[in-house]
Amino acid sequence: MVPLEQLHLSHVLQAVSALESIVLRSFGPEGGQVLFTRDTGQVMVSRSGKRILTALHLDHPLARMVVRCVWKHSTITGDGSKTFVLLLASLLRIIHATATKDPHMFQPHNSTEASEAATARHLADRLLEFALTELDKLIVLNVLPHGFRVSLENFTAKTQHDLSCQTLLVSFFRTRLGYAYCDFFRNLFCELLSHWKVKDDRPSFSMQFLNNSFLALHTQVSGVPVNCSRLIEGQVIHRDFATPCPQVRKQPLKAVVFNGYLQPKLLTTGDVLELRCGDKVTEDRGIVHFSSWTEKSVESIIATLQSFGVSVLLCALKQSSAVLAAATQAGMCLVECVSEEEISLFTQLSGVTPISDCRRIHPEHIATLTFCKPLLLGAHRYVHLDFHDCEERLKVKPCSLVICAPSEGQADQHACAFQDAFRMLLTALEPVRKTQTALEETIPSKKCTSLHADNISNGTACRVHLHQKCVTETGCVISAGGTFEFLLHHALHQYGHSCSVSVNTSAVVPVSQLLEKALLSVPRQIYSHNLKHFLQAQTRVVALIPKQPHALSANFIHTEGPLGDGKLSLCSCENGNMSLKLLDLGLESVSCKYQLVLAVLQCLTNLLRINMVLRTHAVLHTESHDSLNAHSESSEGEDED
Amino acid sequence: MALNGDEEDFEWEPPTEAEMKVIQARRERQDKISKLMGDYLLKGFKMLGDCCEACGTILLQDRQQKNYCVSCQELDSDIDKDNPALNPQAALSQVRERQLAAQVPAAAPELNGGPTSSQAGVSVPQPRPEHCEGAAAGGRALLPPPVVASPPPTASTTTLAPIRPPVCPQNSTLRPVLEEAEEAVLTKLRWATTQLQSSASLEASIQLCSLISSCANSLRSLKELSQ
Repeated sequence: MVPLEQLHLSHVLQAVSALESIVLRSFGPEGGQVLFTRDTGQVMVSRSGKRILTALHLDHPLARMVVRCVWKHSTITGDGSKTFVLLLASLLRIIHATATKDPHMFQPHNSTEASEAATARHLADRLLEFALTELDKLIVLNVLPHGFRVSLENFTAKTQHDLSCQTLLVSFFRTRLGYAYCDFFRNLFCELLSHWKVKDDRPSFSMQFLNNSFLALHTQVSGVPVNCSRLIEGQVIHRDFATPCPQVRKQPLKAVVFNGYLQPKLLTTGDVLELRCGDKVTEDRGIVHFSSWTEKSVESIIATLQSFGVSVLLCALKQSSAVLAAATQAGMCLVECVSEEEISLFTQLSGVTPISDCRRIHPEHIATLTFCKPLLLGAHRYVHLDFHDCEERLKVKPCSLVICAPSEGQADQHACAFQDAFRMLLTALEPVRKTQTALEETIPSKKCTSLHADNISNGTACRVHLHQKCVTETGCVISAGGTFEFLLHHALHQYGHSCSVSVNTSAVVPVSQLLEKALLSVPRQIYSHNLKHFLQAQTRVVALIPKQPHALSANFIHTEGPLGDGKLSLCSCENGNMSLKLLDLGLESVSCKYQLVLAVLQCLTNLLRINMVLRTHAVLHTESHDSLNAHSESSEGEDED
Repeated sequence: MALNGDEEDFEWEPPTEAEMKVIQARRERQDKISKLMGDYLLKGFKMLGDCCEACGTILLQDRQQKNYCVSCQELDSDIDKDNPALNPQAALSQVRERQLAAQVPAAAPELNGGPTSSQAGVSVPQPRPEHCEGAAAGGRALLPPPVVASPPPTASTTTLAPIRPPVCPQNSTLRPVLEEAEEAVLTKLRWATTQLQSSASLEASIQLCSLISSCANSLRSLKELSQ
């Protein structure tokens, strides 16, 4: 085996094309599903790009790198893994074609391959630079006007206009879980969000909290039909009672959380304990004396807890049998091995701190619960508890999600879709990054005279108003089915033209052209079954684009004040009817798409910067998450330019 | 795009039709390879970090730890079908092309400059010989015996000067050509044997053995020709 291997552009392309061919089968509304089987006989069906890619056996370092990038992107935005791979592959292909056509473009090299690689690297760097500086402006000017703005206010109102977060959610769940359950899950999601919404606060705050503590907030139940999924009040601890639970008492219960061991564990394997009794070391009764001392200390802890009226103990670690016996005798319920996330959620909701030193128990360690009882979900028994005055203290009604599905794999899939919905919404609510000066340059004041007469009186007010509106422009969505790609393609095309007209170097032109060509591959694959639909979609979208380049100002209407009253602001009123028709394809978020394009370009740059592979026989680093293969026999080498 | 790229030593011209066909064929082959690789990956094969030594495709490994090259073992080589030694169709088409080229007046004799300039002059596009034979020679050392199919017209020999001359011939020029061919094949055979002795990988050994057997076959056909 060669220890050092030169990497060529064609290798990169081949690895990524193989991944693309896998992902293409499940892409688009007509894409299929992949059936996963395990040697144990477990079977699962999925179309999630992230799940498919992480399930592959890949030893090739580039392929693993791409999958890692996809995984990371998916953890942040929750969606778009297949589009990621598709866009990456088509960009690589275009760059490969460009580099092989004219490899001596930038600097002479010894071999053709080296010069091709250098050209490709240069192109990728320029693409990234272009995307980081110009792309957001292009999107704001050319894509956002054709979209709609959704907000999280008034989330669960059913009487609202169709265009809302709910439509966005339905489209999302439809792509993940199919037509059957998308509405059901949308309702469940909205219900969950409405329970957890902190009054008078930004809804994205509660969504962020839900995203972070999702593991502790949901329970997966298999063997039950999907329609049994529901919300239950309070928190579910995914362990059973370790001591027999006495009858439910009427008054509020008191509970404490222990981070360590109640009985001090001073003896572990390999330790040597030297016991002294005065000056003599007595061996025959030393250890017995010692363990009876530790038991007495446990009893005193339990007595202290009883004096406080505590009846529920939640422990992070496994307790010894002496502790269990003492707790049973005292009539206390004990739950051990509670996970860290659940303890953290419990402490946040109840407002107490966990006890680290068992000898010091104070009132601030004691939580009050309304009830604490066993709960049977599917084949498992869990602990179900609720907090006493959470609503007054934290202004939320805590509830937990129970996700049911016929099989374990499916339940996992639904849970992942739920969590990804949080991430997608959080990304959708982020603004597309804009710089102040960019907008002021491109919108000259004389164009503002064609605005609606509602709020605008003079040109300067228009400019400032416009800028303010754009900066607060979050939650923009656009109809799915390739609209974003068509619009951006058109915008890049015009940008390319305008750049070639101006004095800029011709080097700038190819970069936007590369991106422009690559973007079209996405809708082409969406409509791959029928080319006519592709052309129809393209014509429909292009018809929406106004003729003059800066007619942006004509399309804006301003709403009154902040959006607290739940009204939507439509960015494009003239084309409202046309755009509405595009809605049967579903909605997707502009911000997510923008993040996707940036992530793809960054991955591309990283891929093309590698030009050598060093093989090692030791595992250099294991990735923190378990779904990727942990063993690796090769790693990326350094850039040896 | 090529505005800045014009340097004195390299003038970029748009690809001719034959080159386009070759590029298209290569692209389709790459697409087929990707699709097959995707199929195997979904079946549970592992994508290795190594490349096949013969064709440079990424290797796959099945559950039984056996390495598998998609293009070598499944797709027919794209160059075999152009090789007149292996494919009678290719031989016939080569003969026909030579006949057509012979009808073009000798005003296009400048075929030494390189492939691109040669094709600019000749009206009938010919596939560049190096695609048919040169690439094959790199991996498999198969030189086509000069006369496999029917003998072409004698006048064609002067108008053609391709890079590697499988020019056909008349019997008097046959012998030295055959000898050269035999020698080349023998050299390759010797090389393959030394490689086989030192080879450690299973896949490489299999490839070398197939190379040796094809060298032996070509030696046999050369011997038959010389008789």
